[in-house]
Amino acid sequence: MAEAEEAGGANPVNEPLDLVRLSLNEVVFVKLRGDRELKGRLHAYDSHCNLVLGEVEETVYVVDEEEDNDEDNVRTVKKQSEMLFVRGDSVVLISPQQ
Amino acid sequence: MSAPAAASNGAADARDPSGFLSEIIGAPVTVKLNSGVVYKGELQSVDGYMNIALEQTKEYVDGKMRRNYGDAFVRGNNG
Amino acid sequence: MASQLLPLELIDRCVGSRIWVIMKGDKGMHHAHMLEQTSIDLIAEFSGTLLGFDDFVNMVLEDVTEHDYSGAQTKLPKILLNGNNICMLIPGGMPDGDE
Repeated sequence: MAEAEEAGGANPVNEPLDLVRLSLNEVVFVKLRGDRELKGRLHAYDSHCNLVLGEVEETVYVVDEEEDNDEDNVRTVKKQSEMLFVRGDSVVLISPQQ
Repeated sequence: MSAPAAASNGAADARDPSGFLSEIIGAPVTVKLNSGVVYKGELQSVDGYMNIALEQTKEYVDGKMRRNYGDAFVRGNNG
Repeated sequence: MASQLLPLELIDRCVGSRIWVIMKGDKGMHHAHMLEQTSIDLIAEFSGTLLGFDDFVNMVLEDVTEHDYSGAQTKLPKILLNGNNICMLIPGGMPDGDE
């Protein structure tokens, strides 16, 4: 597809979404709004940051508010999914896993 | 970065937002999101949506370091 | 009739001088329970010297003081402020000259 242009530049990251393009078919870490994180293989994305991830592990941070004392306990809930679509507006950050 | 159509001062010098951004590419920067979360890293690139690519990124929550990323893409409309 | 001063013309007149920027507050406040804001550390106000702005009212500010809801102040030499969450702009900077 865009391989020809890609080879030309010394720095392949000319715009932020290039970083996402370079992560295609790699495992990425995605931070979402609402204290959620995903780790999975990036199959597809678009300019809105809509994502399709495979072999996904989702981590949700849940705060248990305790009535008696003021301390809030943070719990993590993990979920596995074979394939996931993420709507771009909930994406905060995408990082390739090293 | 897509040019903001008519910055009142005409040419994009380092004073207006797009000029400022192109001037600081490659520099260590601090990005503060609306949520209060802070990312510090080397600025690789920015686009018209203010999506940001950072290198050697550190994430700070409440002033404490939470995580380290090699590269990080921060989506634009998270202010 | 006196000639009208458009809102952005008012801001354009502020380039080079102090300006006080108040962010939309509501948006952050109801997230206060969220994990990442155990102490409410949301951006409330900035004051600094306006270097420039664009059509989205993204602004470049210099010699900035950031005031968050906790009352803490942070000095920042030069910043780009996203226009998305700006509520109000007041020429002349903050009343109690914090600069």
